[in-house]
Amino acid sequence: MKEQSSLESSEIFQLLYAIPDPEVPVITIGELGVLRSVDWVNGQLNITITPTYSGCPAMFAIEAEIKTILKENNITDFKLKTVHFPAWTTDWLSDDAKKKLSEYGIAPPQHSSQIKHLRPDEVSLQCPFCNSDKTHLTSWFGSTACKALYFCDNCRQPFEHFKCHH
Amino acid sequence: MNKDLFEYTLRLGDTSLILSQRLGEWCGHGPMLEEDIALTNIALDLLGQAKAFLAYAGEIEGKGRNEDVLAFHRDANHFRNLLLTEQPNVDFGFTIIRQLFVSTWQHYLYSELTHATDKNMSALAVKSLKEVNYHLRFASDWTLRLGDGTEESHQRVQAAVNELWNYTGDLFEIDQVDEALLKLGIAADMKKVEASWNKHIRQVLNDATLSVPEINNFMRTGSRKGVHTEYLGFILAEMQFLPRAYPDAKW
Amino acid sequence: MEVNIEQLEKDFQAKIDAGISIEPKDWMPERYRHQLIRMMSQHAHSEVVGMLPEGNWITRAPSLMRKMVLLAKVQDEAGHGLYIYSATETLGISRDEMINQLLTGKAKYSSIFNYPTLNWADMGAIGWLVDGAAIVNQTALAKCSFGPYARAMLRICKEENFHQKQGYQILANMMQGTEAQKQMVQDAVNRFWWPSLMMFGPSDKNSPNSDELMRWKVKLYSNDDLRQRFIDRTVPQAEAIGIKIPDDKLKWNEKTRHYEWGEINWDEFYAVIGGNGPCNRLRMKQRNDAHKNGQWVREAAIAFAEKRKKNKAA
Repeated sequence: MKEQSSLESSEIFQLLYAIPDPEVPVITIGELGVLRSVDWVNGQLNITITPTYSGCPAMFAIEAEIKTILKENNITDFKLKTVHFPAWTTDWLSDDAKKKLSEYGIAPPQHSSQIKHLRPDEVSLQCPFCNSDKTHLTSWFGSTACKALYFCDNCRQPFEHFKCHH
Repeated sequence: MNKDLFEYTLRLGDTSLILSQRLGEWCGHGPMLEEDIALTNIALDLLGQAKAFLAYAGEIEGKGRNEDVLAFHRDANHFRNLLLTEQPNVDFGFTIIRQLFVSTWQHYLYSELTHATDKNMSALAVKSLKEVNYHLRFASDWTLRLGDGTEESHQRVQAAVNELWNYTGDLFEIDQVDEALLKLGIAADMKKVEASWNKHIRQVLNDATLSVPEINNFMRTGSRKGVHTEYLGFILAEMQFLPRAYPDAKW
Repeated sequence: MEVNIEQLEKDFQAKIDAGISIEPKDWMPERYRHQLIRMMSQHAHSEVVGMLPEGNWITRAPSLMRKMVLLAKVQDEAGHGLYIYSATETLGISRDEMINQLLTGKAKYSSIFNYPTLNWADMGAIGWLVDGAAIVNQTALAKCSFGPYARAMLRICKEENFHQKQGYQILANMMQGTEAQKQMVQDAVNRFWWPSLMMFGPSDKNSPNSDELMRWKVKLYSNDDLRQRFIDRTVPQAEAIGIKIPDDKLKWNEKTRHYEWGEINWDEFYAVIGGNGPCNRLRMKQRNDAHKNGQWVREAAIAFAEKRKKNKAA
């Protein structure tokens, strides 16, 4: 049987990798680690994704976007599967993605090895606007499950932090 | 199908779903904005977990019931959530103690289940455990603040402990489902969970200058068999109204 | 050294004209500070009061997915409220003071939240229309002269975009459903269309603060311009899924490349602003109750923190 699309799985992976996160569009679902794998199996495309937080509503939009892109590339026979293992962690974020977050005004997550045993109010962060270390936690829960709210005592303004989740 | 595994998965899913439903009632009414957000966030985590567990339950059952059918088209006697989760919010103190009791239970239960021989079960447990750890810290921190805060807060939260304690026996009831699955290495050893739960809860309550109620005769159980308190019927009436009123509609 | 206010004001205006953003530590005229506090706190209050009409439906959402999306949206709003309160505090007003202004009726919030949510499609209509109108407003504010506010708007807008899509999707989905669902959608849009247009404020000829705000680049476009922009981008979206906009005078003008539309009921507009909308009293009661019921919790947190501090010092 002829495959429906002549695209290699790696090419499709790149296409899907570039889908922006619906709420923080400066980073992509690939950089976030949500997109896990893309494989052709007997003429059917198998895609696996993993949720960031169990209750993250962006997953529905991400699934819809993946389907749209597959359709645009004439891929009709596919299986989109959500896997929960290995469980997502912010340690999967690339350095590049962290840089983009910072430029967007969100302090990126630290690597879990750096903050083991620390409580959230003990994590010291750099302000994404002025790079000062004089910052403090305002609220551990922010507008989305993945973010906390901090305040910079130097440039005197709030900023968001993409929390380390491990 | 593995009927025991279906039943077991349903218990986990329903417990998260009903607690999430209760926490959702707080939305917009919290004592301060930070806490409003925290409760909503916990509700959201639990809802996500509920959806995943119920989807898996539907898969195990294999009768085409997906997570929505399970959530919206079962009556109270078919729900398997812990009795604690359906107890009303009352005030912030009650809500925190209920959360403390359930999150502690989930924490130790999921810790056990991370080693489950059923791959889906262990994956969901690993995922949920990460989130539950935050819930537990939130609930423990607030128990401390309220218990060791003012005279009024101490009294209120002690009243919550005394009242909700009556439903904690339900947390550790074991039936043939647990026994069968334990043999297969899927279920958590509830004896272990109970011991850890007791240790942690006593520690937190003690730190918060709260006293642990004495064992009394009014220990309500029954969630495993679908025997609930009166509250669940009202919760479901509200939660299920749309899909029931418009059975042909897709949302 | 003598501080010359006139010179400071001149420099301030020159900075704004050059497109340099004003930061919390910079000098600013008192009136600029005052206007920003008014606008930003009103925005934060709107986010917080806005949780109520949508919060109504969290326990009744018709599927787990919709429930999750709605919960997350309301959390987003609370988070935005918190962020904007925090940004407003940098202008020299405490959150307690702002909240007190809200609870005593001294501060305003967006009038749209004084309308009730009566059926599930209202969750779609609010996402699509109310968030849609907010996006038009906030996209403009993302270019405003006060740095922390402009930066906040940039990111908040992205999240609102997501909400708007989700709201539209609720409606689009229902419009492909049963007759009863379609009726719900039309009913929701009938009720929310005009109040959404009112979100842009009074017409330009009755907008007292505009000149000053425009000179300071706190406001970049007039109310009527933004309203028109909203209508132009929203009407085609309605048509695409078969929703009828409840305005007999609505029609496309090929010459101006804009929609022409009817007249806002300004009596209603001023009545709602004046506290006599369908839900003004209810919303204020809900906020006041939440505050009152949370009093003991806040006191406990303070008492606990003080005890810990003492223990640490000892």
